[in-house]
Amino acid sequence: MSPKETTAWVDLQSHAYYMSQSHISTLFDESPNRFAQFGFTQDNLLLDLSKQRITDETLRLLIDLAKERGLSTWIEALFNGEHINDSEDRPALHTALRTPKGVKLEVDGVEIIEEVHQNLESMEAIVTKIHSGQWRGFTGHSINTVVNIGVGGSDLGPLMACKALAEHAPESARNLNVHFVSSMDGSQLADLLSHLNPARTLFVISSKSFTTIDTLANANTAKEWLKQASDDASEAILVSRHFIGVSASPDKALKWGIPKANQLAFWDWTGGRYSMWSTIGLPIALKLGMKGFREILAGAHAMDTHFRETPLEQNLPVLIAMVGIWNINFLNINAHAILPYDGRLSHLPAYLEQLEMESNGKSVTRKGEATTYNTCPILWGEVGTNAQHAFYQLLHQGTESVMCDFIVAAKRYHDTDNSELKHQHQLNLANCLAQSRILALGDTVIKDAESAPVYKRYKGNQPCTTLLLDELTPHTFGQIIAMYEHKVFVQSVIWDINPFDQWGVELGKKVATTLLDALAPNASIEAFDASTQGLLQHISIRNK
Amino acid sequence: MKITIWGNELPAWTSAAALAESGNHVQIVTGLDQAGNKNEIAFKISNEPGLQHCIDEAINSGRLKSVTAKEGLSPATHIICLNPDEYDIAAQLIKELATEHPSNLLIINQSNFGVGSTDKLQALLYEPYNQTLAYIPDMLAEGSALNNFKHPETIIVGCSNDWALLNIKALMRPFSQSLKQWMLMTPKEAEFTKFANTGMLALRLSYINELANLADHLDVDIEVIREGMISDPRIGPHYLHPGCGFGGLHFQQYIEGLSELMEVNRNSKLLNTVLAENEKQKEQPFRKLWRHYECDLKDKTVTIWGLSFKPGTASIDNAPSLKVIETLLAQGCKIQVHDPEAGSNIAQYFNNHKQLELVDCCYQALQNSDGLLLLTEWPEYWSPEYDEMLSKMRHPLIIDGRNIFDKEILQSLGFTYYGVGR
Repeated sequence: MSPKETTAWVDLQSHAYYMSQSHISTLFDESPNRFAQFGFTQDNLLLDLSKQRITDETLRLLIDLAKERGLSTWIEALFNGEHINDSEDRPALHTALRTPKGVKLEVDGVEIIEEVHQNLESMEAIVTKIHSGQWRGFTGHSINTVVNIGVGGSDLGPLMACKALAEHAPESARNLNVHFVSSMDGSQLADLLSHLNPARTLFVISSKSFTTIDTLANANTAKEWLKQASDDASEAILVSRHFIGVSASPDKALKWGIPKANQLAFWDWTGGRYSMWSTIGLPIALKLGMKGFREILAGAHAMDTHFRETPLEQNLPVLIAMVGIWNINFLNINAHAILPYDGRLSHLPAYLEQLEMESNGKSVTRKGEATTYNTCPILWGEVGTNAQHAFYQLLHQGTESVMCDFIVAAKRYHDTDNSELKHQHQLNLANCLAQSRILALGDTVIKDAESAPVYKRYKGNQPCTTLLLDELTPHTFGQIIAMYEHKVFVQSVIWDINPFDQWGVELGKKVATTLLDALAPNASIEAFDASTQGLLQHISIRNK
Repeated sequence: MKITIWGNELPAWTSAAALAESGNHVQIVTGLDQAGNKNEIAFKISNEPGLQHCIDEAINSGRLKSVTAKEGLSPATHIICLNPDEYDIAAQLIKELATEHPSNLLIINQSNFGVGSTDKLQALLYEPYNQTLAYIPDMLAEGSALNNFKHPETIIVGCSNDWALLNIKALMRPFSQSLKQWMLMTPKEAEFTKFANTGMLALRLSYINELANLADHLDVDIEVIREGMISDPRIGPHYLHPGCGFGGLHFQQYIEGLSELMEVNRNSKLLNTVLAENEKQKEQPFRKLWRHYECDLKDKTVTIWGLSFKPGTASIDNAPSLKVIETLLAQGCKIQVHDPEAGSNIAQYFNNHKQLELVDCCYQALQNSDGLLLLTEWPEYWSPEYDEMLSKMRHPLIIDGRNIFDKEILQSLGFTYYGVGR
């Protein structure tokens, strides 16, 4: 049954007709108790939905919709490893990656939690060897620099985590530099290689399939760079001392030259954008130590348990997802801004862009029919205080309705003596609270706003969510990322789409291959459209 | 003279033994922290040649005894030999001494608390009543400390008080027979001099090692270069032997102190770099072995000759052997080690690791060996029985971390030889 045919959907539509006339500031006037009503907590997280355009009735109907869509059954199917990624006929078991040792979970006849922990232990052995200075390069010097080469899920998660949690690096990791390279054009890599020491650099090649052209192109460049820097070491030695492969396709990694001893595995059932918790997280473990990495897993597991066991009415991922459904499908808002008020979370917007848009950016239902309702909105974002000097103008006075997620830590810099730094955090918090207030309530927050000229007015009524962490730690970081993962899953259930495949990215790879041939000198280009032919000719002339 | 010596390390025990031997009544206070226990620092009297014997004699003669901190306060002459990080303990002690001896109190500071610290401590005393603190840098080299103390060529005294100077000269009279000069300066200048000397030596060692590593790349023999260098009288021969890094407890500590001083005051990384490069240099023999065996040492049997940080001592403080052994263990090697003095210290340090075998005979350590690493230039290694070495070793490979062997001879005998910069 299409979601639109459920009773709750129909009721929500009528409710929306009434609610779309209302303004968030009026909702506050009517119910001063909104914060208590729409504030929800889990461990060290507070989710404030009071600045959304919702009432008790809205939430009740949204939960009804979730129930009618069989959400609880789907949640169980997710955790139990059923093949809910139907187009690829496999489970999506990122939750298993953070399940503690000792728990039993058999999937397709294999006890997977045990395997998960074996892989973590292999990863730990590598981390220990590198941290103790005993991973040696071809000259015998210890490795002090790690470059992660990967793209998409093999890049964004680890990159975000390393930046977010750098201050939690243990003493043993303080002298280890961790870099990330993803872009296919080699510009990041070329820039980096110019100041790295080949004798002390280790490359982590992360690719689920080990066929990703972006990653292999960068890996080949890195290998060539090492070859040029070492006069007499053989390629086999260079690869065995300077490359680690992280892949679900060990044979392909081996074929590229990475010996089994230098490989870390993960599984087919780990989706790329859900893989940070697996051995793809190696750079995180290198940056934070295994202890830090395990704390992230524990935080995510705490959220998993909350998601699985808490009634839908109090369930953070469910609530944030359903409020999203409300905004998208009933208030017709198609843009979503991710606004972390914390420089450490600067990569969170890019991470969520992939997580949400690659998962739910779809228009075909699980039954293969076209959807007749909107699905994933356009997501983008930036560190809030910087975005204030960029696109907030549009949020405040543009024509688009945009829903906004404000993410901020209550506590920061409590270990420093620098009072100015502490003050900066206060400044940051003040800005975060001010902006969500104006976006939601408009210029009603000041007196005599009506007397201002029209170009100085703020209409407000942009729905805002605030996610307040006690502080940013590996644990809370794990919680919030897992929360967004589950949010995406909940929305996919409502929309009846498979969030775990990404067929929309395949064709581009194929067509690029034919264009690579077309870029060769004197290649035939007649088969291409006029625009492509014109561009190819222009490029060819410029390269003569 | 009645003297109390405060401290539990090489300078304290050396001063105590030598001063007692020359007729003074010496008390030593080794427990100064709140619990009355001295930190278990790596210094062991038995590591220092002749020192234990001299101490035993002094104790037997009744002129040296160990006392409590309270008892230690009574004499009017004190020598403070504390660790660089024990400034606060020294300050507390000096306050107590000032109360105990309102006038004519001589305190000699031999601790390296940093430039200017003696002046800061002097401010706790009342100089017009001859409560004075002088600084005499210890010029002891581990392995020959007693000899250095008893037969100095120069004594540097940082002191601005005539009464104190008179007493210091009297105290040092038995040791000043062959003295070339007394160098008098302010305490601050004396402290700076001590630092400056140590830093200079480290710089020379670091420089020759850097040149040796370059020589490796350019395929020239560093020994030839070195001889050319030392023929220049402006340069001279001292501290210009390339090798696999320097160690020792105090040398390293002082350089770290100076390095910090330079970095804080001048933002200078000069000595910091020296220290970092020295740590890398300690592993240089390992790296030659690593490259020789194409980056795979798993299950290789490796012999090490020489474990102490230099010949003539059992001390392994900051010794290159520590880093080399650690690395070889991590690579899965079996290690057979020999040292005339330091073997048991190493066995203890590595907690009798099962991959590490301590051997009494240096040739026995070569049994089935895939390579010999020479790390300390003990005299007995300089001219070994080559035939016996060849017969024992599985692969006749010698990595000479101190350049003591003759490259041509070894090669003509069939050894594969790698030196430092040759």
